[in-house]
Amino acid sequence: MELYKPSEILIERGEEDAPVVQRTLARLPEVPVRIVDKGWERGGTESNGTDSFAAGKRRLLFTRQHSTFLEHCPAGTPGLVCCNYLVVSLISNCPMDCSYCFLQEYLANNPTLKVFTNVADLLHEVAAVVDRQPWRQFRIGTGELSDSLALDALLGFSADLVPFFAERKNALLELKTKSDCVAGLLTLDPKDRVVVSWSLTPPEIVEREEHGTAAFCARLEAARRVQMAGYKLGFHFDPLIEYPGWEEGYRDTVARVFSTIDPRRVAWVSLGSLRLTPALRVTMRRRFPQTRLLSGEQVPCADGKWRTFQALRVKMYRALAGWLREAAPQVPLYMCMETAPVWEKVFGRAPTCDKEVARALVAPNLANHEKSGSPSTDSA
Amino acid sequence: MPSLAEQILTYAQHKHLSAQTLARWQGWTAEDQAELLTLAEELQLSENHLRDFVDWLEEIVLRDGGTLGGVLSRPEVHRSLNTKLSRNDKLKAVKDALRRLRYPQLSQLEDDLRAAIKALDLGGRVRVSFPPAFEGDEVTVAITAHNVKELDDSVTRLRLRLADGTLQRMFDLLDQG
Repeated sequence: MELYKPSEILIERGEEDAPVVQRTLARLPEVPVRIVDKGWERGGTESNGTDSFAAGKRRLLFTRQHSTFLEHCPAGTPGLVCCNYLVVSLISNCPMDCSYCFLQEYLANNPTLKVFTNVADLLHEVAAVVDRQPWRQFRIGTGELSDSLALDALLGFSADLVPFFAERKNALLELKTKSDCVAGLLTLDPKDRVVVSWSLTPPEIVEREEHGTAAFCARLEAARRVQMAGYKLGFHFDPLIEYPGWEEGYRDTVARVFSTIDPRRVAWVSLGSLRLTPALRVTMRRRFPQTRLLSGEQVPCADGKWRTFQALRVKMYRALAGWLREAAPQVPLYMCMETAPVWEKVFGRAPTCDKEVARALVAPNLANHEKSGSPSTDSA
Repeated sequence: MPSLAEQILTYAQHKHLSAQTLARWQGWTAEDQAELLTLAEELQLSENHLRDFVDWLEEIVLRDGGTLGGVLSRPEVHRSLNTKLSRNDKLKAVKDALRRLRYPQLSQLEDDLRAAIKALDLGGRVRVSFPPAFEGDEVTVAITAHNVKELDDSVTRLRLRLADGTLQRMFDLLDQG
């Protein structure tokens, strides 16, 4: 995967000396730099092209996060089973450009690729929540508003995050990626507290729809390397995409994953159907007129998002779950943004509450967690 | 004789088409543009219908290959166009034919469920309905009755179908697609 190189680096006044800024400037000495005032991005995106979202990705802004870092995963939606996931975002927007990415809609008015300089504030905030509630178990991810690792060679955030979480006995950090940028992880000791997870689609989908990401085989090789370095792995078959030949494509994908890595060190695997808001469909059609993802048999669902119609979706989930169970019988499986009836059809039962899903994912992976009473997997 | 581009523009102005829909139409090859113009004029497609046609045609071609005009020339579409129906009924028939090409598996499920309900032979007073696009699990079975005898008759038919497993077939179809 090519190293991200912005067309311009913008630094909010006062942030020039932040370590992440200094690291980046040292690694990209040839990129023009401009000091801007606070709130610069609200003054307009200065794009004269038609694709302001793509233009935003090429401009790198260093700024401070002025609100809280720790949030509930926004996937939690009434009527759908939730896994009580928490997210922190040190980066907003992503150097990759998947045709189906929800950020195209979510960050449409704020597309500049932003990096938050106040990492210490994030760590302080997480410590305040995690350390004050040692009886609770937390699962926290950084891959919500950006890829967790795609910019790591530039920003080096993993060197801040991994040691911090490695010292905490009641929290797991998940680094979610479609990259192969794992070099920064290999010299760190995660102490079983860090899960590096890959979003996976069959290679033909990667090539056609996941622009700027690492090739399928490069992701697998990166997964093998971090597993060897002591990290647990996660895999997300999300979005699960219905296309002509999906059965063969996904069966082969699962087989290749589990012939490359050790299933005993896989923390979890998730399944989640492709889901698109009407506005995102319009954006996709405009930005990626050749995408085939809109040609699937999707219908509007109760939450307003379009998904593959339920009977076909369930067939796909069952097929995937079957292949996964065969290859890795012990690995916890879960679904993202699905209803309880779909859980019942796929897994035979639905969780009684959100905490049940969270506990099933976190508890086995915090085996050394010093329990004081019954551990609960709760939100902040 | 106005050019194809002029004819499309005139049609777009007449039907108050959005700039986006018009631009997509104009982005096609001349042959494909002409095919859609013929269809649009015949069925007097408004913005919403035309946009559905454009969406579905583009999506079918991206998935299955071929040309937009080629899809419109398919026998099932042509058959619907050449029937002696009112314009509205013809529009419905053509749209249904195109939707079947766009959603073949969903359409098959609809057909199978329709056949399964017919096979139940529950009589005219029992109505079975499904959630929109079969999303969700609830099947609604409604009985209309004017007296106890009618109600009893419908309940008896339902009990029979429960006992012989034909009702189960309907749920199996929903479950397995």
